[in-house]
Amino acid sequence: MLTPLEIIKKKRAEAVSRIISKGYLSTKRVYVGMATCEIAAGSKEVMDVFTEAVSKGLTDVYLSQKGCAGRCNLEPTVEVVEEGKIPVKYGKVNKERALEIVDRHLKNGQVIKEWLI
Amino acid sequence: MPNTEYIITLCDGPSCIHKGSRTVKDALEEAIAKHNMQDKVKIHLSGCLGMCSKGPIVIVNPGYTIYGSVTEADAAEIIEQHLINGKYVTRLVVDEDHLYNRFFRIFGDNDFFGKQMRITLRNCGIIDPENIDDYLSLRGYEALAKVLTELTPKDVIDEVKTSGLRGRGGGGFPTGVKWDFTANAPGDERYVICNADEGDPGAFMDRSAIEGDPHTILEGMAIAGYAIGSTKGIVYIRAEYPLAIKRLEKAIEDASKNNLLGDNILGSEFSFDIEIRLGAGAFVCGEETALIHSIEGSRGMPRPRPPYPSVKGLFGKPTLINNVETWANIPVIILDGGKWFSSIGTETSKGTKVFAVAGMVKNTGLVEVPMGTTLRNIVYDIGGGIEGGGKFKAIQTGGPSGGCLPEEYLDTKVDYESLAAVGSIMGSGGMIVIDEHSCMVDVAKFFLEFTQDESCGKCTPCREGTKRMLEILTRITQGKGKPGDIEKLERLGTMAQRSSLCGLGQSAPNPVLSTIKNFRQEYEDHIFNKKCVAGVCGALLTYTIIEKCVGCGACKRVCPTNAISGTRKQLHTIDQDACIKCGQCYDTCKFEAITKA
Repeated sequence: MLTPLEIIKKKRAEAVSRIISKGYLSTKRVYVGMATCEIAAGSKEVMDVFTEAVSKGLTDVYLSQKGCAGRCNLEPTVEVVEEGKIPVKYGKVNKERALEIVDRHLKNGQVIKEWLI
Repeated sequence: MPNTEYIITLCDGPSCIHKGSRTVKDALEEAIAKHNMQDKVKIHLSGCLGMCSKGPIVIVNPGYTIYGSVTEADAAEIIEQHLINGKYVTRLVVDEDHLYNRFFRIFGDNDFFGKQMRITLRNCGIIDPENIDDYLSLRGYEALAKVLTELTPKDVIDEVKTSGLRGRGGGGFPTGVKWDFTANAPGDERYVICNADEGDPGAFMDRSAIEGDPHTILEGMAIAGYAIGSTKGIVYIRAEYPLAIKRLEKAIEDASKNNLLGDNILGSEFSFDIEIRLGAGAFVCGEETALIHSIEGSRGMPRPRPPYPSVKGLFGKPTLINNVETWANIPVIILDGGKWFSSIGTETSKGTKVFAVAGMVKNTGLVEVPMGTTLRNIVYDIGGGIEGGGKFKAIQTGGPSGGCLPEEYLDTKVDYESLAAVGSIMGSGGMIVIDEHSCMVDVAKFFLEFTQDESCGKCTPCREGTKRMLEILTRITQGKGKPGDIEKLERLGTMAQRSSLCGLGQSAPNPVLSTIKNFRQEYEDHIFNKKCVAGVCGALLTYTIIEKCVGCGACKRVCPTNAISGTRKQLHTIDQDACIKCGQCYDTCKFEAITKA
């Protein structure tokens, strides 16, 4: 019989493969803050922009919600994490900024420096 | 960061500095300059990274390669091998998988985040809280599995005792001791409760922790259930946190599906269930005995202790109550070790504490730092200093029941004892920065309004004392203060502190007493000179029109009592007898021609 520790390691391996099958190893991972505070600051609209972009065929992007990182006055925040690159953190992202992040950063790889935290 | 390709994070914690991290920094800079890479490489100093035994620590990003025990001589090699040739300096690589500080991978290169150390909020902001896979992939529930596989209940309690963890709800009682008491109390049934009744205005770390990483709380509670021999856990959370409740419900459901809660967890003999109870939002229900009454269906009022809940709690059974933040520390203590945990912090206060920094500070937000960090570090290094360039006046720690500390206390270390020694409290970790534009009498009145309103009414000194104190404060701010008012406030405050049953009444006078102690002059100005130096208390202000007036007449038009007179393009005047000090003229004037003092 497996010990609890062996079972949990198995469960972890399964969890990791499920995450990977959802595209975690895609080039860009996008995290949108979706805690009460972020939502109050308007992050639902921002999330919608990214969701729509993905549904309209934006590839190589793993989109995920996240809790709040605690940077209150710059919310909503969005992170774009790419292997081999410095993680990019955007602050005060609204619908317009989200659209530009999709166009400039996610499609063309251009980091928008003015909005970095 | 214009063309930054690499960010090198250097641990600037006391231990690494002691081991020579500053000379490593010089050597790194020299090597960077030698290869003309100043534009491409940014060196970032972080707070303690918790890897003190391997210090000095250097992290190279992208890739998040951690190098340990780096010497001056190694610095050049890291630049040449890693940055230029793209090869790891294998002998220095630290390959450890810690639970704490996970967020650092993504957020560490930023000043606000990089000076922090996160144990409680380690996963907040980097995982999807509604996906159990995300939590599992970061060694989630491994601590619970380890406990079930390798440790006896006594071992678990000993580990928590070794860690030195103390209750994060404000009381600061040693957690391991509490667990021990509950485990050894006679009784056939025991309960584990998570106190998520976060009621302090301005404090939101519990909500953030639940919304960002709900499984951590569940895992911590299950571990405690195993340690004290309980099969039933309850999360008491206020109904005004709907998203936190939703995520908690989802987490409980997912954990149950995965056999991480419920019967025979992970194939073991141990069974544990967690249910959610909603509170209606009374502040006093954060007090453990009132909370228990509320769950039992009675009116949320405290009762005398002893007996403590650990002996006679929910439905008369031994009950273990810990705060959200306390629970979130447990998996880390089990996996990274109580000994490691106790290496962080001060002599008497171990680990980290989350503070909700708000008020007149540039960077507001949740700040988790090792115990013993100074208030100055939090306000200036992480908080970025005073918003709007004003002057620092005071910092209020511990929520509405905390004290206001003036500038001379900025070097106070945040831990339970140091804050108590200067007349404030750790409380739940609220931290409000106050600048020169705030009146301290008004601040004290604001906090007392809250606690007075939330007093449950059981004890007369709290019910009546806070009411009378609030009346006196209101009178003072209205310019009707009398000689002897300060002494009366002190007497009432001390009485409520000494003779109230629970923490609410015992701490409610803190803002008043601490502002009297530290800002007595302001009270005297209000009472004897009828002046409010900060210009906040309307009734004490005099509005005057000065020479700058161009006679546009804008103020005259907005004045509700027609107190302003003057011909067009001439200097206007205010009839002080007719003026009701509403301040509309002051706000309207575009020429800064109206002063208030």
